[in-house]
Parts: sequence; structure tokens; C-alpha cells
Amino acid sequence: MSSATEVASEPPTRARSPEPRTRRRRNPGARTGLLFMAPFAILFIVVFVIPIVVAIRSAFFAQVPRNEGLFGGGGVVEQFVGLDNFITAASGTAFWRGMGRVVLYAGIQIPIMIGLALVLALLLDSFLVRRVGFFRLSYFLPYAIPGVIAAMMWLYLYTPSLSPFLPWLPDWVDLMTPGTILFSMANMTTWTYTGYNMLIFLAALQAIPHDLYEAARIDGASGFKIATRIKIPSVRGAALLAVLLSIIGTIQLFNEPVILETVNPWMGKDYTPMMMAYNTMTGTISPSGSGPANAISILMAIIAGVLAVVYASLQRRRD
Amino acid sequence: MTPVTRTKRAALLATVGFLSLGLASCGDSSTEADAPSESDPVTITYTHRLPDGEGMTTVQEQVDEWNAANPGIQVEPTKFDGEAAEMSVRLETDINAGNGPCLAQMGYAEVPEAYVKGLLADVTEEAAAYEEDFSEGARGLMQVGDATVGLPQDIGPLVYYYNETEFENLGIEVPTNLDEFRAAAETAAADGKNIAAFMPDEGQYWLSAQAAAAGDTWFSTNGDAWVVNANGDGAQNVASLWQDLLDNDEVLVQQRWGDGFTQALTDGTLIGHVGAAWEAGFLLDDLDGTEAEGQWRVAQLPDYGNGVMSGPDGGSGVAVMDGCENPEAALEFLDWLNTSGDFLASQGLVPAADIEVETPEKMTRQFGGQDVMGELAVATENLNPDFPYAPGFSSLVTMSEEASNVAAGDAQVTDIFETAQTTAVATLENLGLPVSE
Amino acid sequence: MSSIVEAAEKPIRRQIKSVEDQPPRSIAPSPVSRVVTTVVLTLVTLYFLLPVIWLIVASTKSNSDLASTFGFWFADMNLGTNYESLMSWTQGLFWRWVGNSLFYSLTAGVVGTLISTMAGYAVAKFVFPGRRTMLAATMAGLLMPIALLTIPLYTVFNAVGATNTVWSIIIPSCVSPFGVFLGVVYAQTSVPDEVLEAARIDGAGEARIFFTIVLRLLTPAMVTMFLFIFVATWNNFLLPLMMISSPELKPVTLGLYGMISYFAPDKGAVMLGALLGVVPLVILFFTLQRYWRSGLTAGAVKG
Repeated sequence: MSSATEVASEPPTRARSPEPRTRRRRNPGARTGLLFMAPFAILFIVVFVIPIVVAIRSAFFAQVPRNEGLFGGGGVVEQFVGLDNFITAASGTAFWRGMGRVVLYAGIQIPIMIGLALVLALLLDSFLVRRVGFFRLSYFLPYAIPGVIAAMMWLYLYTPSLSPFLPWLPDWVDLMTPGTILFSMANMTTWTYTGYNMLIFLAALQAIPHDLYEAARIDGASGFKIATRIKIPSVRGAALLAVLLSIIGTIQLFNEPVILETVNPWMGKDYTPMMMAYNTMTGTISPSGSGPANAISILMAIIAGVLAVVYASLQRRRD
Repeated sequence: MTPVTRTKRAALLATVGFLSLGLASCGDSSTEADAPSESDPVTITYTHRLPDGEGMTTVQEQVDEWNAANPGIQVEPTKFDGEAAEMSVRLETDINAGNGPCLAQMGYAEVPEAYVKGLLADVTEEAAAYEEDFSEGARGLMQVGDATVGLPQDIGPLVYYYNETEFENLGIEVPTNLDEFRAAAETAAADGKNIAAFMPDEGQYWLSAQAAAAGDTWFSTNGDAWVVNANGDGAQNVASLWQDLLDNDEVLVQQRWGDGFTQALTDGTLIGHVGAAWEAGFLLDDLDGTEAEGQWRVAQLPDYGNGVMSGPDGGSGVAVMDGCENPEAALEFLDWLNTSGDFLASQGLVPAADIEVETPEKMTRQFGGQDVMGELAVATENLNPDFPYAPGFSSLVTMSEEASNVAAGDAQVTDIFETAQTTAVATLENLGLPVSE
Repeated sequence: MSSIVEAAEKPIRRQIKSVEDQPPRSIAPSPVSRVVTTVVLTLVTLYFLLPVIWLIVASTKSNSDLASTFGFWFADMNLGTNYESLMSWTQGLFWRWVGNSLFYSLTAGVVGTLISTMAGYAVAKFVFPGRRTMLAATMAGLLMPIALLTIPLYTVFNAVGATNTVWSIIIPSCVSPFGVFLGVVYAQTSVPDEVLEAARIDGAGEARIFFTIVLRLLTPAMVTMFLFIFVATWNNFLLPLMMISSPELKPVTLGLYGMISYFAPDKGAVMLGALLGVVPLVILFFTLQRYWRSGLTAGAVKG
């Protein structure tokens, strides 16, 4: 964890300093920092920390019938089961198969999406096109369509007999087979989140100090060179953040497979680890209940955390 | 009904452990029931997930009528906007926090599991007053062992829908047994039509209901243990029917809730459908204004080899929740609600109560003047009387997963019932309940 | 972040050498690259907008036309019927729900952006005890699937009797760990220490520095954060599904979800509802346009 956060928060130093860098001459005060942090910190504790603690605690408990009999006495008690919930999840193949799918998915989809988002941001942040506002909105619009609605839409667009696209493609194209379904999901995610990531980059590009460009321009650097030599290195912090967020989001991949599973029941209720966790919570996957469900989500969180740290430290080494 | 202290002896007695619990709860409720009086109206909270759609009498409107006539018992309905599984999570959270609703809608197959989780109140005594409003079979759906936990609301026996005009054109009759069904499917398929759809996403309820129609009993008890028999003779009959149709390419293979089904229905490829009674409320909506409007009819299922019977495909009741302070008043309202035939019919439901229901105007039009409700009532009477669910039935969604493999040609229909058997046993064991192998 | 500046400066020096033997280029891009870029961006636009166009067309259709007519062209105009159906399915509360969504999203967006920016600025520019712990905790907060935290969160709100209130939506929605990280990254790049030092030397208080200088410098970043929080709040239905029971308090996405979770949804009407819900967002987006300007024309810091 620490290296991931370190990257996102390198110790504060001057952004542009002609002289050799020095430590800040005076610390404006821990108190001020704490005060600025406080509103978020308090709400964060209510909205995240307490529920997470509750969830972690419950992962060590399971519901057992409170009595014998066919219906267990018509009630359950929470029983401490130690690591049983974790062992059950981690020793089954379903969890790891799901994890394998999302990791494969992450390896392919994230580079494409982040790359596309970066290219779009750079093009929009150049003098090359007019009507930047129109393009920016049209790339972001998919993110604004509620997921439940986008779901209905994609089912129409992917169903062979209904799709307005598929008739134009060769006959063997079937977007909903075990071999192609990951691609179909990747397309949905890319469609939804590219604009979102593009906005992250655009905001970072706006933060680039203006005079960096001046020097380059005077020296006759082309727009392309400004992009590759100044802009891309300058948005590295934002890119790292975007990739980390995408890794975490992909490990939690949920909406897309749930939507496709409604017409492809062969995928099962445990196609991704997040589906497995959710359907365990709702009682559709056995053993059910919040204990087993939270154990799965904690395993997911650990794996996502490890992947994020690995990625962040690889990036750091490259720098 | 807070945790009841138990002795070892009580536990031993309780091969039917819920009995003692039931007694305890009865004690509680009778003292509580004394509390309300005319001057101090009781409030009954009621959570449902009925559609409340266009042109329907909404739950709120129906409840308003009750509230106006019964100042002593005021009902507050809440519509839950999510899926059934999400509602049970919400109910469990609320009841554990001590502020659950008094009444909640619940699918019949979910009732035993909710009972095991301690979410339901035992209202056997209070419900006895309403016995004659419901047939024994219907009442059984809201019973867990010997305990009654609520009153049934709507019912979903399997029936057979078909396009009469197309059948006449093809010269086929409504099949009354499986051989006729096969023959009719072959004749229709020769003309590019299908008299039924195989629907993987409905694998769980649709196939288990057919096994029930074929005379199977999936869950029974042997002393104090569950006996699961999901691949008996009936299941084999059902499997062989669909396997033949699939092998001969004489059946439409589509997800029931996918858009391909709607398409096959509207373009006239699909001219028959084995479906639940509650589908009558909307199945033909997409044919309104087309030339097929008014051509469809509803009939009983063919004989699956054990006489003309039907099986339960969905439907739900309203259960009294644990912690409800006035179960007596709640049931009084509930009985009124569940016997309000016109209201239920307007919501597209087939009432479970023993009442005459007039076929709504929309259905009359869509089914060419047929007495749809009358025909569905026959199916209700034909329900397999011995098909209770066991706790954990919701995990049999693995049947749908396997059915999807069948549709892709990677498995046999019998595998679906094998899956049902293994899943059901594993789930009962995971719930910590006794299973006899 | 200093490494970024170094990295940015190094190549320029290298480049100065490399361009010496080339004729100086014109600063303005050539017409060819303009046309090529426009074509490329337009093609990408098609990728993003075609499904939206499909959605617009679909919202004018009946269920049977949806299943039987070409997706990108209109069939029988069913818009009026769909609108009536939408109103009827939502018991006439549709516009009220849109209003609720606007209220929740705007409030959560404004409050969330402000507290995330403050927190990000604090981490980027101050050294205080617990700074690293807080960041690590925030990161960990992103790791747990939010869907599974909704139930414990509901329990917490239930314990204080705050379920089924506007707070049960607004408070969770305005806590955005991701917003804090964005705040950190942007505050590091676009708030120079010199500016802060100068203001302090002039005797400005910390609150004043933040509200008059820092917020102005961070405007483009805050607009982005605001949009993210706004849209996430608008589209979240699991939180209100658990928290809200009164029809008067429901947000529009929950209402639409309620229409879909029924067996035979009127899909045209649902899609119409979704599109009508997106309209306020499009208006908002255009209103916020002026805060984003091309990086070449407006540096965040006037050199």
C-alpha cells in the first residue's frame, strides 16, 4: 500500500524552481493541514471506515441454524468461524477462474482505454480542431448514461437477430460466446469510461505551466513534439492515478458481466469475483450470507491492492 | 419473537424445531394483539414489489380504500424498486436491526429460506380464520413445515399458450400428451414455426415446475432429514421431451427475458409457449395492433406421463415478518388484499385465493374472448399438491447455467437435473441443515 | 513531482539540439494535420455517439418495433405513448424524481468537490501527523467493492435513524476517495509554493489563501471532480435502493430501475426516461465548458 500512496503523494516540493531545490523553509503548520483534511476525514470515517470494519469483522462469522430440525429452529445465530470463509472462497476454483478472467481483461482493456483517452485528450488540447466542446461532450456522454439503461442498449446491439451492426459483419462474428464475451465486455467498458479518463488527462494538461510551451515554441518544436516531450511526461501523475483506478475497477468488474449474464446464463453467477461476492450476499451462491460475501470482497481488495502496488512501483522504477 | 431460550430437551423434541418457536411467538403475539383499540389505530407497514404499472390499480390506491374503511388498522405500503434477491437482503438487514416491515411480499420458493433465517413470524393461529378463502394447495405454499407464515397472493401454474389460428392453418391440435407434443412440434418445424421455446434463463423455475407437472416431488423428509430427489422419473420424462426437440431442431432456443424471444413472438415464428399463468398478463402485449392480435389462446399442459397436472412456476405470497407487533390486524388486511380479485388481476396476477375473477378486458381482447381466468383457475386446481420447496432453492439458479450449456450443445437436458440434485444437497449442507443421502 | 518537471525539461534541451539542423517550423499546424485530426476525432465520435443515437431512436419506439425494425431509423412514432407510459409507471412523479436527482447530485457534487480539494491540498502542501495513514486509508477505501459496503453503511445510518432522508444519499455520495487523489495530483502540479509563500508574506490567512488563490488555480481540476461526483451520484441506484423508501425522495435512476426489474418493462418508455434524465447533465456540461480552456491558450499559472 505504502508505495502506491507514495507515488501519488511525493513529498511536496516546488513545482518550478530555477535554483537548486531546497526543503521548504517553514512548515505552515500541521494544524492548518489537519483542519483542511478534517471535513473529508470525518465523513470518510463514517462512510468508509466504519462499514469496512463491520465488513471485515463479519468475514470471520457465518450464520448457522440456531437449532436442529428441518428448518434449523427458524432462526440463525452468527458463529465465529475464523478463516473458514476465506478458505472456502480461496480453495474453490470459481474464485480463481473469475480472478483469472478479470486479470486477463485488465491486461488488455486498460492499456487500450488509457491510451485512447490520452490520445484524445492530447488532440483536444492542441490547436488542431475547432468545436472542442462538442467532441469533449460526445466522448464523455456515455459515462452519463445510467448503467442500467446502457445495459438494455448493449443487449439490443449484441443480440444477433436485433443488432443493427452485426448484419454488416461476417457471419462468424458472434459477440456472445465464451471466446468473445470478454471482448464484448471490454467494448462496453471502453465505451463508458474512455471519456471519463480523458477528462482526467485534460485537467492535468491544463495544469502544465504555460512557459514550458513558450520555450519549446520559440525553438520551433512541432505540436507533436510538444505533446510527446512535454505534455505526456507532465500527465504522468494523472496517468498513474487513472491506471490504478482502472485496475481496481476491473478487479471489481460487475455491471458488464451481470448485464451479459442475463442472456448468457452459461456465464454463471460467479463469472467475476465481484459477481461471486454479490450473489453470495443475496443468497444465490452457496454458502451464502454476508460473512462469506465479505471474505470474497476482502480477498479481492487484497489482490487489487497488490496489483496496484506492483504497478505503481514498476512505474516508479521507470522514472 | 426474540431469541427463545431452549433446553436440550426442546432441541431433541424439535425434529420440527420450529414448533416450539411457533408456540413462543403465538404467546407473544396474543398479548400484543390486545393492545390496539379503536381510538389508537395500529399501523401496518407493508413492503411489496408489485409492478404498479400503466393502467393498473396501484397498491397505494387499493390500500387507500382499506384505510378509509378501517380507521383502526392503517396500512403504509412501500414499493421496493429492486429485484427479489435484493429485497431479501434489505429485509434481512431491517429485521435484524429491529425495524422491518410487518408484511412483505415473497416468492414461494424463498419462503423456507427466509424462515430458516428467522425473518418470518409463525402466524398459524391467526391465519386459521382465513382458511376457507384459500384452497389447501395454495395455503401450503405459505407454510413451512406445519407453521403458517402468511397468505398466498398470486399463483403461477404452468399452462400452454398457443396461437389458435396458426395451429388451424398447420392442422395441428393442442397437444394433450408428450407424443402429441413431439408430433406437433415436428409438423410446425417443417413449416418454419415453433410450438414452444426452450429458455435457458428460466431453467430453474420452468424446468422444476415441469418436473412437478410430471409428478415428481423434489423435497421430502425422512424423519428429521431432508431428502432431495431432483432427477426422478418425472424429470427424466421432461428431459427426454426437450432433448428430442433440441436434437431435431424443432424448438426455438431463446432466453425468455432476452429480446430474441420478443422478436420470435412478433415475427410469428413462435406460435406456442409453455409458460407460467402470470405471463398471461403481458405475454401478448407486443402483438397488440398486429394481425396476430386475438389469435392466441391458453390451454392446460399436456400430460407429462402422470396424468394432467401442472407445476408451480413462480408466484408469491405476503408473509408476516418477525417483529410484527400486530399480526392479527396485519392478516385481516392481508386477507382482504389477497381476495381483492380485480385489483390483483389489474396488476397482471392470477389470484391464489379461492375466488371467481373476471377476466380483465385487456386479456379478453388479446385472447380472442376466451375466459382466460377460468382456464388458469383450472391449472391452479391441477397443481401438483406435493411439491414443497426446501431452504436454499434460490441457489438452484445453477440449473439455468447448465441449461445454457445445453442450448449451446455442450450438455444434455438430464445434466440440468443432475446439477439441481447436487446443488440442492450442497446448499442444504452449507446451511447447516440435515440431509439424508 | 519535481521529477516530472525535470523529465519535461530534459527532452526540450535535447530537442533544441535536434531541431538546429531543421528549418524552423511554423507554429500553426498545417492544414493537412488539421483535416486528418478532425477526421480521426469524428470517427471516434461516431463510436461514442452511435449507441446514444440508437438510444434516442429507441425511445420513440414500442417494444415490438424495438424487436422488429432497424435500430438506427424511426418506426411508428411512439414518443407520446412512451411519455404517457413513463408518467403512468412513475405515478406522475417522474419530474419530481429528476428534481430529486438534481438536488442530490448538485449538493453532493459541490460539497464533495470542496472537501476533496481541501483534503488534496492539505496532503500536497502541508506536513501533518497522520498524513500518510490518511492517504493509505483513502487508497484502501477504493479497494473495497462499494456494493458490499452499502449494507453495512445502511446499518450505520439505520442506527442513527438517518435512513430514508436526503442525508442518507448526500453524505455517502460526497465522500470521494478518488476526488482526494485527483486533488493531490493537481495541487502538486498547479499550485506553486512561491505563490503560497508570497501570500503568506503579504499576511493572508490560510483560509483566505485557500479560498481566493488555491481554488482559482484548481478550477479546471475541480470542474472535473465535480462532474465525476455529480454523475456518480446521478447514476447510483444501489445506495438509494437500500436507503430510500418514500416515493417522494426517490432519485430518477432508482425509479427507472424499478420499471426494469418488472418482468415485461416498457423499454421505450424507460429509455425515454433515461434520456430526459441526461438532458440536465448535458446542459450542466455546456455551462461548465468555459472553465476548461486549451492548455496552450491558458496556463493555470500566469508566467
